[in-house]
Amino acid sequence: MDGFDMMDSGTEGPTVTIRKADSTRADFVLSNVDLAFANSIRRIILAEVPTLAIDLVEVINNSSVLPDELLSHRLGLVPLESSNIDEKMLYTRDCDCDGYCERCSVVLTLVAKCTGDRNVTVYARDLAVAAGAQLGSPVITDEAQKGSIICKLRKGQELNLKCIAKKGIAKEHAKWQPCAAVAFEYDPHNKLKHVDYWYETDAKAEWPKSANAGWEEPPQENEPFDYNAVPTKFYVDVETVGSLQPDEILRQGIKYLQEKLATVIAGVQKTAGEGAAAAAGADVGGMDDGYGGARSPDMGDANGYGRNFNDGYVTPYGGAGGAGAGAQTPFGGYGGGGYSNGGWP
Amino acid sequence: MPSTKKSVVSRSSAGQAVFDTIAREKRFRNPPADKTAFPALNEAVRPHVDSWNAVFREGGCLHQAIADIGERTVFDRLDGNAETGYGNKLTVRIANYYLGKSMLSSRDKTAMKREIYPAECRERHSSYRGQLQLELQYKVNNGDWQKEYRDCGLLPLMVMGNRCHLESMSPRSLVDHKEESEEIGGYFIVSGNEKLVRMLIVNRRNYAMAVIRSSYAKRGPSYTNMGVQIRCVRPDQSCMTNVIHYLSDGNITFRFSWRKREYLVPVMMILKALVDTNDREIYEGIVGLDQREDTFLTDRVELLLRTYKAYNLYSRHETLAYLGDKFRIVMQVSPDVSDVEVGKLFLKRIVLVYLNDDGDKQRQLLFMIKKLYSLVAGTCAADNVDAAQHHEVLLGGFLYGQILKEKFEEYLLNIRSQVRSDLMGGAKVEFGSPQYIRKMLGKVNERIGESLHYFLSTGNLSSPSGLDLQQTTGFTVVAEKLNFYRYISHFRMVHRGSFFAQLKTTTVRKLLPESWGFLCPVHTPDGSPCGLLNHLAHKCRIATITSDTSQVGPLVLTLGVHSAKVLPVPTDATLSVQLDGRILGWCSPRDARRVAESLRFYKVSGTHNVPLDLEIGYVPTSNGGQYPGVYLFSQEARMIRPVKYLPLDKEDFVGPFEQPFLNIAVTDPEIKSGDSHVEFDPTNILSIVANMTPFSDFNQSPRNMYQCQMGKQTMGTPGTAIRHRTDNKMYRLQTGQSPVVRAPLYNTYGLDNFPNGMNAVVAVIAYTGYDMDDAMIINKSAHERGFGYGTVYKTEKYDLAEKSKSKSPVLAFGWGWAAIGADAAALAKYKAMKDKYSETLDDMDGLPMVGQKIVEGQPVAVYHNMGTGETFFFKYKGSEDAYIEEVRLLGNDVGDSICQAISVKFRITRSPLIGDKFSSRHGQKGVCSQKWPAVDMPFSESGIQPDVIINPHAFPSRMTIGMFVESMAGKAGTLHGFAQDSTPFKFGEQHTAFDYFGEQLKSAGYNYYGNEPMYSGITGQEFHADIYLGVVYYQRLRHMVNDKYQVRSTGPVDSRTRQPVKGRKRMGGLRIGEMERDSLLAHGTAFLVQDRLLNCSDYHQTWVCRGCGSFLSTTPTAAGERRAEVRCRRCANKATEFDIGKKGYWEDGLGNRFIGGEDTTVVVIPYVLKYLDVELLAMGIQMKYDVSP
Repeated sequence: MDGFDMMDSGTEGPTVTIRKADSTRADFVLSNVDLAFANSIRRIILAEVPTLAIDLVEVINNSSVLPDELLSHRLGLVPLESSNIDEKMLYTRDCDCDGYCERCSVVLTLVAKCTGDRNVTVYARDLAVAAGAQLGSPVITDEAQKGSIICKLRKGQELNLKCIAKKGIAKEHAKWQPCAAVAFEYDPHNKLKHVDYWYETDAKAEWPKSANAGWEEPPQENEPFDYNAVPTKFYVDVETVGSLQPDEILRQGIKYLQEKLATVIAGVQKTAGEGAAAAAGADVGGMDDGYGGARSPDMGDANGYGRNFNDGYVTPYGGAGGAGAGAQTPFGGYGGGGYSNGGWP
Repeated sequence: MPSTKKSVVSRSSAGQAVFDTIAREKRFRNPPADKTAFPALNEAVRPHVDSWNAVFREGGCLHQAIADIGERTVFDRLDGNAETGYGNKLTVRIANYYLGKSMLSSRDKTAMKREIYPAECRERHSSYRGQLQLELQYKVNNGDWQKEYRDCGLLPLMVMGNRCHLESMSPRSLVDHKEESEEIGGYFIVSGNEKLVRMLIVNRRNYAMAVIRSSYAKRGPSYTNMGVQIRCVRPDQSCMTNVIHYLSDGNITFRFSWRKREYLVPVMMILKALVDTNDREIYEGIVGLDQREDTFLTDRVELLLRTYKAYNLYSRHETLAYLGDKFRIVMQVSPDVSDVEVGKLFLKRIVLVYLNDDGDKQRQLLFMIKKLYSLVAGTCAADNVDAAQHHEVLLGGFLYGQILKEKFEEYLLNIRSQVRSDLMGGAKVEFGSPQYIRKMLGKVNERIGESLHYFLSTGNLSSPSGLDLQQTTGFTVVAEKLNFYRYISHFRMVHRGSFFAQLKTTTVRKLLPESWGFLCPVHTPDGSPCGLLNHLAHKCRIATITSDTSQVGPLVLTLGVHSAKVLPVPTDATLSVQLDGRILGWCSPRDARRVAESLRFYKVSGTHNVPLDLEIGYVPTSNGGQYPGVYLFSQEARMIRPVKYLPLDKEDFVGPFEQPFLNIAVTDPEIKSGDSHVEFDPTNILSIVANMTPFSDFNQSPRNMYQCQMGKQTMGTPGTAIRHRTDNKMYRLQTGQSPVVRAPLYNTYGLDNFPNGMNAVVAVIAYTGYDMDDAMIINKSAHERGFGYGTVYKTEKYDLAEKSKSKSPVLAFGWGWAAIGADAAALAKYKAMKDKYSETLDDMDGLPMVGQKIVEGQPVAVYHNMGTGETFFFKYKGSEDAYIEEVRLLGNDVGDSICQAISVKFRITRSPLIGDKFSSRHGQKGVCSQKWPAVDMPFSESGIQPDVIINPHAFPSRMTIGMFVESMAGKAGTLHGFAQDSTPFKFGEQHTAFDYFGEQLKSAGYNYYGNEPMYSGITGQEFHADIYLGVVYYQRLRHMVNDKYQVRSTGPVDSRTRQPVKGRKRMGGLRIGEMERDSLLAHGTAFLVQDRLLNCSDYHQTWVCRGCGSFLSTTPTAAGERRAEVRCRRCANKATEFDIGKKGYWEDGLGNRFIGGEDTTVVVIPYVLKYLDVELLAMGIQMKYDVSP
């Protein structure tokens, strides 16, 4: 496929050209889509594809040098195997159980003790997944098959933790993020003149060519500027943290995008059917739909979504909170609560 | 481009800025067993440690002080006189002192390990002290000396000093003793706090300074503003200032102060008392052979000699006797000493005390007179008392020794007054009986250790003489371990003295060129202590011992100097050569230069026994400049610094006195002919902290000052032995990193052991509007991954001994019991209480459980009365939720009592919040205004999203170009994986930083100038402008909203005015002041004004009489058959019998009946108005209010 082809093909559907793909990366060119769509894909795979991550830690014994909340934070950031999570697990808030159960959570235990004179290093591999769990084993990619370091123990120090991993999305907390970074570029030759390159003496000498520049025709000398042109070809490079395969991230991303669009359509149709009066009302139910799709487990305390909206000065987004909560981002901001992660993000 | 990636990498790794991660890790696991890896740190605190050692070493200052104190005598007759005799004489002296290491008290009989290490003192909130013992000797009349050893309490010891267990321990054994592996000492541990005596700037010792000071004219009639001042310091470092004053008639008087009182003596009297002399010798001593025609001088010397005739004192003997007679009482000498002896004592104790030889004293005094007349004649300028040239540093150890000397002296005087009070009280005084002596000594205050403990813990100096200092408070500071920069800065801090803080003039605060290389020009706070609180340049040392200069005197005589003892000196020998204020001889101006240059050559080459740290101040003759001469200094407390001596290409040490007269080039290319020295490194002028500002030479200078301040307020890593510390408040950054961009000095000082911030990807862009006005946006995901996460540790001591007055323990930790035979209800109540609190408290011992979360008001510990069994709680007072980190049970010093105190360390988590303060290392501080979701953040083509967004408007006016350079350097460093050298003054016009780092960026495939095209996270659209994106080291400052926010709707009010109280701690309000009110009025927001100033303040409803307009005359009526009402007593009349029948009468509470005064109403006023009314009434002023309608 070349640039000429693309410009001509208004009717052709979106195309994906995979340039490179392995278990942790997918480098592809997304063509014949508009910018909004491409960016939506980027945003959704960054923030709304659910994965599994340790959310609660029950500390039975921790005599290490790390305080409980620090340890829980570190554990939360350990990537856990989460493929096909939608078929295997529910969100805790959608589950009928009190607290958590095997349908909405995976229990990992970490038992370690240093008895010898040499210090013991606790790695992610030491997290033991409960028998029968379909997913949730820690992602280990290093050659020595150890995984990330969690903690170091000196003689006599001991760890005995019960970690409850739950399904969630990165919008809630970065630990649920399936991909590390998503490279995203369009128009490597700046033909659309979206960016005005600043230069001291010579833009060509000071600005390096993008790696994707070879995939598009460089602009001709004296080529007339097409002010109607829009970006249609996007160079995307998805790098995962290991919890999901890159293709699954993308497929899930598309699924959730569809779901969201469907909610919007359903909402529009509903309001259209009910007439203008109901639309003006835009009741809480409508808002709730807006939330729909992916969501994290409820935090179960005043800082989560499950709060009571009646105590005044509270927006449905959970804005101004009680003492100590501080202001929050539109997405609920920092967790604050949790069981034993007091104050940790 | 010429540079490839490989060459760029190798170019940088050739520098010293390396991460050294592996070596650091290894060192951290296995601290060296031989010597410290960071000798520069020990070098930094040497002024403190060495000065302590100089005082307490064998033959050190304190031994000299004891010798200097001498003997004190007392007689066993109060009414004795010369005829009848004085009775038996008791002579006492201190022969020696013994200062032990910190050991357990001998009352503890059980412990095997008897050493007390500093870590134990910190953890137990106790003091690190050693036993002080004095060997007191006494004799009766002319008998033999008898010995008596007296314990004088526990004296606080300096950590790492020569009485410390840790001295010369290897890092490994330091770690074994619960210290930092790089423990540097230099401080005292007082009640668990680390205190240090801060360095003070004082006048240079033993150098006669010409001073013009308006206060000199206030000493008396005909005194002028001119004088010559000399601060004389004895070998034991105690000092005495002498001043000679010029009187308007040409005369000169000698001034000194003794026990805080000033005395004035004609200078001639002292000259005559010092040696047997005559007027001619004095005349020739002042007027040189070349000055015989100088009538200005000769007239005055003649007058000086002539006016003295009035005293009719001709011989030395007569003069001494006269002085002795006058100063006998003042000097508190024994009555059996003759006047002449008192006169000699006067000269020894008061006049130029640093000299032992009276001839030397006389010559120096004559020199001072010469200098004074020269100042008056205008042939020399006054010396600048604010310049570092005339300064030295009073070191902590020396001050400590001085106080100790005075306490020793006071002790001897106390013995004398004890004997006298025994005599007056009629007690039997028998000097011959050791029992009496011991009993008498037992009554003398011997608690010398405690008084030094008081000094250290309060910083207050209680001294009869004032120690020749200009302040009595603020000598000690707490060495706060907020982060390591702050900690190390305490030891490099020199204060000008709190006396100067009150001066209205700013001259003392000015940065003078004389300070170059000694005091850091950048590292001083702004605000009130600006310029008064300075920090030593990192290479500046302070001499703590007198160098051996015994060969210097003979040497200069061989260099063409005429001995001062041989008179007369030749006509051209007009310049004096002085060594530490002792005149060695005289020479011609030409010879003086040669002498100075030869000495310098000798001292750097190490020949002729000239010590390397000898300061050779050659002041050349000039036209009205500084008084010329060659002044050699070899003693303690001088600032010295290394520079390269060009003739020998070797290290030389220069001091601030000589530096203005030396030509020192800053860099090698700048060396011109005539330059004698060159700096080793231009960064030597900066302090340790100022050196840590990367590329500080690119910044506007005030920004570097701000960074020095903020670096010290950063939440960093205070140390690695946090487990063994109990600081009241300690901040810790959990996610500290080693900066990518750092100077090699960062490694030299081992600062990677104490990381102070995080490397953050910073985009300079105006995005979302939340980065306005120095706010910064933090990436929410970065925050969730731990960016800037910190912890505050607070330690609280819970002491039962403070709760009960009794000496033996009444209270004990743990649960009490329900009284024996208590009824079921009481038992149930007791059980309920126990159940209620057993969740947070370990139900066995009543102590908190480690790891337990605790909120305000929850009990921390339980204690009970051992007699009644009644249970009490210690409650947690902090407003923030905390976790119990550590619990320590503290026994008493001897270990013979049940546990009466515990120390609890709380951990308070401080995740970054909106409103917390952050800064880069360039004085660019900002407040976090949002935690922005990562998907909405802008991103680069490779998908990198910034951790921090700051607004471009932070730069144009502040001109912190260094931050841009750091950003580029950090970006290039992370891309290539190496540390970047950020030492200032490394780049120039030909070799610019932007080209250097630009090449590195380019070779990594990035834009040469650090810009990158970025995309909006929200729309995915590429921004129109490319964005400056790089890696900057960010610090989290300790100012956090959680400590600052203040909210109130209603709350406590002041009882007098009923207005809200102020202060965050008391739930007070924020004042709407007059100016705020003005602006509200100007906005026309009357309702708001009323709301703030009345409704939310002291809103009050009160009765007022409409008739007489008074608040205060209204009174409620007694409810009779009618309802109680409020009437005006003033407008009412006493009801007569006749009125009783009428309807309108009323009754007050006492049964008095009135009629009238019905015209009252309720009004709303601010309560203070009523208060004002009452106050005015007390002054007899009545206020009348017109009430309408």
